Amino acid sequence: MIEFRSVSHAFDDVPVLEDVSLSIDAGEFVLLAGANGSGKTTLLRHSNGLLEPDAGEVLVDGTPVAEDLIAARSSVGMVFQHPRDQFVAATVGADVAFGPENLGLDRAEIDRRVAAALEAVNMAGHEDERIDALSGGEQSRVAIAGALAMEPTHLVLDEPFTGLDEPARRSVLERLASLSADGTGVLLATHDLRDVCELADRVIAMHDGRVAVDGPPADALDELDGLEVRVPDTTRC
Amino acid sequence: MATDQHSVELVDDDVVKPFARAAVLAALMAATVFVGSIPIPFSPISISLGVIVVYLAGLYLGPYWGAFSLLLYLTAGAVGLPVFAERAAGLGVLVGDSAGYLWSYPIAALLIGAVVHWRSETGDPADLSRPALVVTLLTALTVIYLLGAAWLGYVLELSTVKALELGVVPFIPGDLIKIAAVVAIVEAGRITT
Amino acid sequence: MLTYEPDESLAHRLDPRAKLAVQIGFAATALAHTTPRALIAFSVLTAVAMATARLSLRRTLVSYRLALVVLALAPLLAGVTVGPPWFDRLAAVASGLASYRVLLILLVSAAYVRSTPVRHSRAAIQRTIPGKPGQLLGVGVALVFRFLPVLRGDLRTIREAMAARLGTERSVVDRASTVGMLGVTRAFDRADRLSLALRARCFAWNPTLPALAFSRVDYPVLGLAVVLAVSAFY
Repeated sequence: MIEFRSVSHAFDDVPVLEDVSLSIDAGEFVLLAGANGSGKTTLLRHSNGLLEPDAGEVLVDGTPVAEDLIAARSSVGMVFQHPRDQFVAATVGADVAFGPENLGLDRAEIDRRVAAALEAVNMAGHEDERIDALSGGEQSRVAIAGALAMEPTHLVLDEPFTGLDEPARRSVLERLASLSADGTGVLLATHDLRDVCELADRVIAMHDGRVAVDGPPADALDELDGLEVRVPDTTRC
Repeated sequence: MATDQHSVELVDDDVVKPFARAAVLAALMAATVFVGSIPIPFSPISISLGVIVVYLAGLYLGPYWGAFSLLLYLTAGAVGLPVFAERAAGLGVLVGDSAGYLWSYPIAALLIGAVVHWRSETGDPADLSRPALVVTLLTALTVIYLLGAAWLGYVLELSTVKALELGVVPFIPGDLIKIAAVVAIVEAGRITT
Repeated sequence: MLTYEPDESLAHRLDPRAKLAVQIGFAATALAHTTPRALIAFSVLTAVAMATARLSLRRTLVSYRLALVVLALAPLLAGVTVGPPWFDRLAAVASGLASYRVLLILLVSAAYVRSTPVRHSRAAIQRTIPGKPGQLLGVGVALVFRFLPVLRGDLRTIREAMAARLGTERSVVDRASTVGMLGVTRAFDRADRLSLALRARCFAWNPTLPALAFSRVDYPVLGLAVVLAVSAFY
């Protein structure tokens, strides 16, 4: 479980998060909505200690993030926008192995995790391929595999669909849905509220650094007016 | 989890950022040999952007990470990435005719970075006056020329004058243009340290 | 272009550390000797190194064309004198011999380049250079390899965008500074995103190192490296 307790954060005295409290359970699929500048990205970066709160605290599986960064960062797998800038190796297998190598696991265990992570994103057997030769959707899925190889309890994604065409977006979404069904908590920040009803267990919407809406999609969609979150006309629950 | 995580020693957050910048800048230095050079009108010489990146590494990464970035570039070329002039590679290049120039790059970046840190509290090269900047860059260029020509003369058994004729004189106009370009970049102040 | 090519040659099977040691030994002794007799011995060794890696002489020379121009010009320039006799044969020969050994050093290192993938070199760096410097250099080399095509693309895009808006009509200083500034700005943007990803993935000082082990064929090669290095002093 990821738990935010009254978290506040400011950049250069400009408040970006104000008194945010929320929690994400294992296996829950939570969609994080909000306009640009509403604090989504900052919120995500607190979930694994990439940022330290000015006030409040964040706990991962009951342990404060600041007390054990390694545990927090291996329990919360994070995938950012622009997958191309997150890869550390030129080939798929070597990149996915990076996280487990940092954990100091032995080679056999690393190989097992790489194979399992690639399997989970439908990229099994692509270990030796060059990352630059992959399509955008495949790159996104390899980036997710890189996080999964840490065997996280949660997956946190920040706008992972930027630059993806519709089939690629769908394939990534389907993988996320199946991971969530298998017990991984998913926190997905996105502008794109298509498919929200069928996918998400909950919608959290941020507005001016505060949690403005937090509830099941059917209720949450009605409350999004005035938060500068665009909901496609066809979206009904 | 089965692993003994207490033994994991994370790289400090304030090391990761300059390290990533140094590595990506080394890749930019390498990329300049692929993406052609800028021709100078009415001259057979064209400008490769490489040395501009050497100056910028010192200016914006500081003495240590700037020098590290260029050492990384040299290491990448030594182990076989085609990143030296005309896409050459190999450890041999680092002792070959142009080795003096290549090894002078990290030294030049160290020198430039040291001056920036000495003259500016925040390490921002925009704090340097134009004369100070120009003198610093010319000094760095002189170091590059001296080491480059010295090794060229030694390894090919050329006299000092002839090493300078072969390895310095043809490049002076282009290198002065590059220094002017770097001054313009610093004064525009758009790169954040 | 000279680069790694998958193959089954003897050189491909050697440990990268043994190959690096031989290159260093060879360079050390070649820098110390320019007598014709020594150069004959070096030529034989170079031929052996190239054969072990199944290296094409023609293609290798093409990839070192810039060095070849300098190596060919040097003896000519060394011989020219401003007064009579107008050409000093002794000086030209001395420079010619010196240039030739530089060519041999380049060819030997080309054998390493063709036979060694970057991940082996990275493993050799991390296993040879101790502690934090080795870790930063090893991961750094992998990152340069990873980001080289990305930044080539950036530079190309920048230049095309400038050309599309007739940037080619501007002064040389103007163009060079624009490309340099945009190039570094984009590189730093990418690097800052990369550093977040590195932190999120537990970038550590003491990771599991890439596997690397000496085998029986490596020991004679290491022995040769020692002999070469010692011969530099005689």
